[in-house]
Amino acid sequence: MRRVLTMIMLGAAVALSGCSTVDYGDAQARETVNTDFGSTDLQMIASKMVDDMLVFPPIVQLTQNRRPVVFVDSIKNKTTEHIDTESITDTIQSKLLNSGKFRFVDMTKVESVREQLDYQSESGLVDPNTAAQMGRQIGAEFMMYGNFSSIVKREGSTKDVYYKFTLKLMNIQTGIIEWANEKEIRKTQKKSLFGM
Amino acid sequence: MITLAKGWLALVLLAALSGCATNSLFVSYPSQAQKWKTTLASEAPDQGVITKLEQSTAGGDGVLYLQELGRVTQLNGQPEASRNAFAGAVAEYDKEDASAKIQVSSLAATGTAMLTNDNARPYVAPDYERIFTRAYQALNYWADGDATGTSVELRAAALEQQVAANKRDKEIAKAEEDADENSIDLNQFDGYFEGLNAVAGDVKASFQNAWTFYLSALFWEAHGEYNDALVDYKKALEINPDSTMLKEDVERISNRMKRRKVDDGGLVAIIYEQGYVQPRQEFSLPIPTVHGVFSVAFPTYALADKPMPNTLRVLDTASQPLGETQVLADVGALAAKDLKERMPGMLVRQTLRATAKYNVQKQANDNFGLLGSLSTQIYNLVSEQADQRSWLTLPAYAQATRFTLEPGEHTLVLSTPQGNATLTVPVVDRGLTVIHAVAIPGRLITRVLPVQEGPL
Repeated sequence: MRRVLTMIMLGAAVALSGCSTVDYGDAQARETVNTDFGSTDLQMIASKMVDDMLVFPPIVQLTQNRRPVVFVDSIKNKTTEHIDTESITDTIQSKLLNSGKFRFVDMTKVESVREQLDYQSESGLVDPNTAAQMGRQIGAEFMMYGNFSSIVKREGSTKDVYYKFTLKLMNIQTGIIEWANEKEIRKTQKKSLFGM
Repeated sequence: MITLAKGWLALVLLAALSGCATNSLFVSYPSQAQKWKTTLASEAPDQGVITKLEQSTAGGDGVLYLQELGRVTQLNGQPEASRNAFAGAVAEYDKEDASAKIQVSSLAATGTAMLTNDNARPYVAPDYERIFTRAYQALNYWADGDATGTSVELRAAALEQQVAANKRDKEIAKAEEDADENSIDLNQFDGYFEGLNAVAGDVKASFQNAWTFYLSALFWEAHGEYNDALVDYKKALEINPDSTMLKEDVERISNRMKRRKVDDGGLVAIIYEQGYVQPRQEFSLPIPTVHGVFSVAFPTYALADKPMPNTLRVLDTASQPLGETQVLADVGALAAKDLKERMPGMLVRQTLRATAKYNVQKQANDNFGLLGSLSTQIYNLVSEQADQRSWLTLPAYAQATRFTLEPGEHTLVLSTPQGNATLTVPVVDRGLTVIHAVAIPGRLITRVLPVQEGPL
């Protein structure tokens, strides 16, 4: 009896002394820590949007012989969480670029580009033959923008979160929305009965 | 037999230790809070007190101290620290929401609470405090010029109110059921809580906070989200049905939605927080048990402690009145209402505790004679402390007013019994300028938040 008790105590001591461990995991693995927006949601949204866009017939036709230029506007965060929506559009942008169908202009870097152009043309330090010239950038043909909203319900031991991500592609000149799609995600969390 | 006894001893010790993580077990919480309330009264608060408060956030009542810390640092002009503290409090709420229904650690704390007092139970923030945390965090983002962050926090505040409304009725029913199970007649205590009823006044529910609704309605209106604004103005009006200001707001937004002409100019809103919410009082409640009547310490609110509301008046440089704030949230009443809602559960626990303490004393009497009996009696006397914990740097009254001014720079005079302040504020056509004014004893703290305008 005493031996069993000692063993239990020893086991508990080992378990409680808590040496933390660090390990590498699969970046694509399903993340289900809680109902908050997480990496799996981001990946699901991005791949759904890109896959859908690249097989949409008018888009296929549009990108057959040329690579249209797109600029990414912000995604409006209408959820109850602080989510970096730029990170979602970054992933979508990278995937679209890698498909070889689209090209992008980055509006967040306009100021740095202007500074660099000013430096090249005005500082006198750069060989004029190699200096990038002003007024030669290509105008974007399409604008990508969207919304990210959520509905949260919490009652008793259940928490239910519904996310809806909407993405649209608008022709800047005509104002026509050429493509739009949405990704819905539902996550439900139930409280366990026992815990520490 | 010895092993068994040892096992029990270990268990009791474990229960005692895991419960003692809270700071308020033997030192009443209001006396702790007085330290940081006092230091805020001076222009240069004592950093040592704030550091000490930071250290307290690691304990079992962490969430309470995080709330206090967020508020203290916000008033002290430390936005970064305030934002971190409130984010920490929100993380604690999430943990609480996701925690298992039956927790070993909280069972242990409840075990300790059986032999000491309710302060041994880890602090669980009531809904009205959660809602204030969200509103203050929104103000932190607002002050930082982050409109998206502000909108997220305001939405979260609305969600908290929604969830609170849904769960309230169920919880009260559950506590009454518990009382039935333990055959405790809750009605017998009615007479002792008249003061509490008076403080709670005519507040319908402890979580209904028109002030946060008003804050978010203003924000949505400034950004052209008229639908959201209308909903929040209406909710605020529902809580304060007699307010002319809110009726006008609802009408103005309805007109905007119908694209009718609305007087242009810029909206200036003053959100005014008056004083500190009153702390809980301790009183002696006789609890009948099978062994006779026991006197136990119980928390309540006294009407005498409750400050009277006073208003903030806004004047222009020619001393012409522009507006006067009105009370949108009586925080003292919300706190009292919350305590009242928790009362059935507390009464059940107190009755069981009185019985448990009696048993310990009787055993000491039988086994250890006079000395043992005396020491347990002293222990029972000392350990009998009411649960006086609550967020004490909240204002007593949250108020607001608003008026329209021509676009341009304006100099305004804010006049309160705590002092006056003169501010120069920018006013933008169809924009919103918010002045945040907090009057604490001996000091009037004011700041002008960045103007909100245009789509989000």
